[in-house]
Amino acid sequence: MAESVRAELFARLREQETSVAPEQIARALAALGHAQPARATHTDLHTAFLANVLANKGTVELARDRGAAVQAIGRYLYQRFRTHKLVAGNDPRLAAMPWRDGGVLPRFGAAENGDSAALSYARLGVAETGAIVTYTGRANPGRNNLLPEDHLVLINREDVVSTLEDAWARIRHDTAASGWPRGIQFIAGPSSTADVEAQLVMGAHGPRRWHVILVGDTPAEVLAQASGGVGATS
Amino acid sequence: MKLASNEFMQASSAALLEEDKAQRRSLIGQFLPLARDAAASAYGDFDGLRAHLKRVRRHTMAHLSHYLEQFEEAAVQHGNQVHFVADAEQLNSKVLSICQAHSARRVAKGKSMVTEETGLNELLLKAGLDVLETDLGEYIIQQAGETPSHIVGPALHKSLAEIRQLFLDKHTLGDRDLETVSEVVEEARGVLREKFLAADVGIIGANALIAEHGTSMLVTNEGNGDLCANLPPVLIVCTTFERVLPRAEDAMALQRLLVRSATGQPQTCYTSFYTGPRREDDVDGPLETHIILLDNRRSDILASDYSEMLDCIRCGACLNHCPIYIGVGGHAYGWVYPGPMGSVLTPLLTSLEQAHHLPNACTSCGRCAEVCPANIPLPDLLRDLRQDESVQQLKPARWRNGLRLHAWLLRHPGLYRNLTGWTMSVLGLLGKRRGAFRRLPFAGGWTGQRDFPAPEGGGTFMRQYAARRRRGGKRG
Ligand code: SF4
Repeated sequence: MAESVRAELFARLREQETSVAPEQIARALAALGHAQPARATHTDLHTAFLANVLANKGTVELARDRGAAVQAIGRYLYQRFRTHKLVAGNDPRLAAMPWRDGGVLPRFGAAENGDSAALSYARLGVAETGAIVTYTGRANPGRNNLLPEDHLVLINREDVVSTLEDAWARIRHDTAASGWPRGIQFIAGPSSTADVEAQLVMGAHGPRRWHVILVGDTPAEVLAQASGGVGATS
Repeated sequence: MKLASNEFMQASSAALLEEDKAQRRSLIGQFLPLARDAAASAYGDFDGLRAHLKRVRRHTMAHLSHYLEQFEEAAVQHGNQVHFVADAEQLNSKVLSICQAHSARRVAKGKSMVTEETGLNELLLKAGLDVLETDLGEYIIQQAGETPSHIVGPALHKSLAEIRQLFLDKHTLGDRDLETVSEVVEEARGVLREKFLAADVGIIGANALIAEHGTSMLVTNEGNGDLCANLPPVLIVCTTFERVLPRAEDAMALQRLLVRSATGQPQTCYTSFYTGPRREDDVDGPLETHIILLDNRRSDILASDYSEMLDCIRCGACLNHCPIYIGVGGHAYGWVYPGPMGSVLTPLLTSLEQAHHLPNACTSCGRCAEVCPANIPLPDLLRDLRQDESVQQLKPARWRNGLRLHAWLLRHPGLYRNLTGWTMSVLGLLGKRRGAFRRLPFAGGWTGQRDFPAPEGGGTFMRQYAARRRRGGKRG
């Protein structure tokens, strides 16, 4: 059945198309170029990124280095859940962090139903949309982004790119060596729904909260600017 | 889904009488256009973005066999099984056979208009499978035994009180208040979480297919589609072949347009790209993935004068901006796709004969075309369908004769002016006391819902115009 349906469809399509060499199609496509990104909210890349994370109903924090990141995670877990437990993928960058210093007890692997918090080390952040990008795999199983109550994300300063097109350029570069992952997820906020009375509610099916920690040397003013000059939020 | 577009006239009249529902709709018609406008203007050159996607679509459609083949090849290389199906029945039985091959019992579904179109759930349920819609809106209407009233917010027609009662009836969870929206969402979250974890098969749709990588894009806020794509051991993506776009960047252009046009967000919570089954050292994800590409007359549409309709990205903006949709609601249209996009698609995907009322459900105000992110000339397509309707003589003889009479009258302007002038004077005289008519012969459709204002003195426009020219000839 499927074979003949396929053959018939292609025959019909080809009948209507003028046959053109693939190289010519590729040239025509390249000539179309790419879309313009959304107008930037801030000229500084990291300010724009953080401002959009906040607009996406995330919370943000700055951490100078990995040590500070561990401390921040420890504080967050204690405040939210009175726990030190955390699940994280088998990301070598996460394995190498000074967990003991922050009193955090990570379990490395895939998240299970009932886990309160999961941590991902994002591959990318996109300033244009305030999204972070993860690839599924051992380093970050897809369910870690979805099952826990809270999703915590670390993102290195140098991994924040300006536009969605820049993000794809990086994804192509990353995957050229490691192969195309099963899933690439752009995440921009806690899971939400407006299906009842058009009223926005967080924690529809996935995480109720989304906490992004920008790792690296970022001046505190950047965060103040991003949150509308009101000062740091976390 | 069963087609009931033939009953549009009766269904829309009935819908106008449901006051609370009508009020909900008019709120949607006020709020969503505002949200869309704000998002479009915050973006910058939104019209430039629309034009860009249009160019990419034209290019893609001109070389569709090339891109479709590229998609298929890449998808297969990534370990997907790709199936082409001609119609609803073939899609449904393909899905069923995949489920049966895995002895599946429980199916978790993400939002998919394509499977609404094919009536997949009905078949799976009949075959004894436990099929659950997981998008909150879809879940609500599935529990209520209803159909979507909107392509983006399927349950927007239901009030909190209705949903509350529905959950109290359907979920045996003991005493609880369930009085706020948050509580309702929380309850659904709990019930559905269990279902996700227990599902044997996940079914999702696709917002775009990317030829370059053989991957499909899924855009959601709830993350329910992502749970369907990540937890069950088998994943089936149900979509249509013309969703294909050449590059990931093109899908990004589409996504930028889609979210702003649909909800006014600059970005949805989840934008995911799924590319096959679990990799060798992955610890989660489906073991087997299928992509089913449905035709269902789309190749006919592609070859017709209506091919631009295939550019529709299902954002729902034309619904939110349509005075008819906001007036009568989605159910009156009698099928899966309502509003202007549905009034074009339904006759094309089913038959004009069964759905010929829909292209008439249009005031030609043009708002849909103004906001359609895919730049589809919806009012033109609707007019062309009305033309087809007329050629095929689908209107009742009374209408056709009426139109013929009207056309004849218009070709005799002197007579037309005299006749309208005379009618106006008579109506003006008769309605002088009340200033309006409660009932009028031949106009029951109008006066059933509202009063018909009586003409005020002075006569028709043409009469007043002529009088004014006579009086102040130099000014006129
Ligand atoms: S026709 Fe245009 S406005 Fe309507 S749903 Fe499709 S893309 Fe959106």
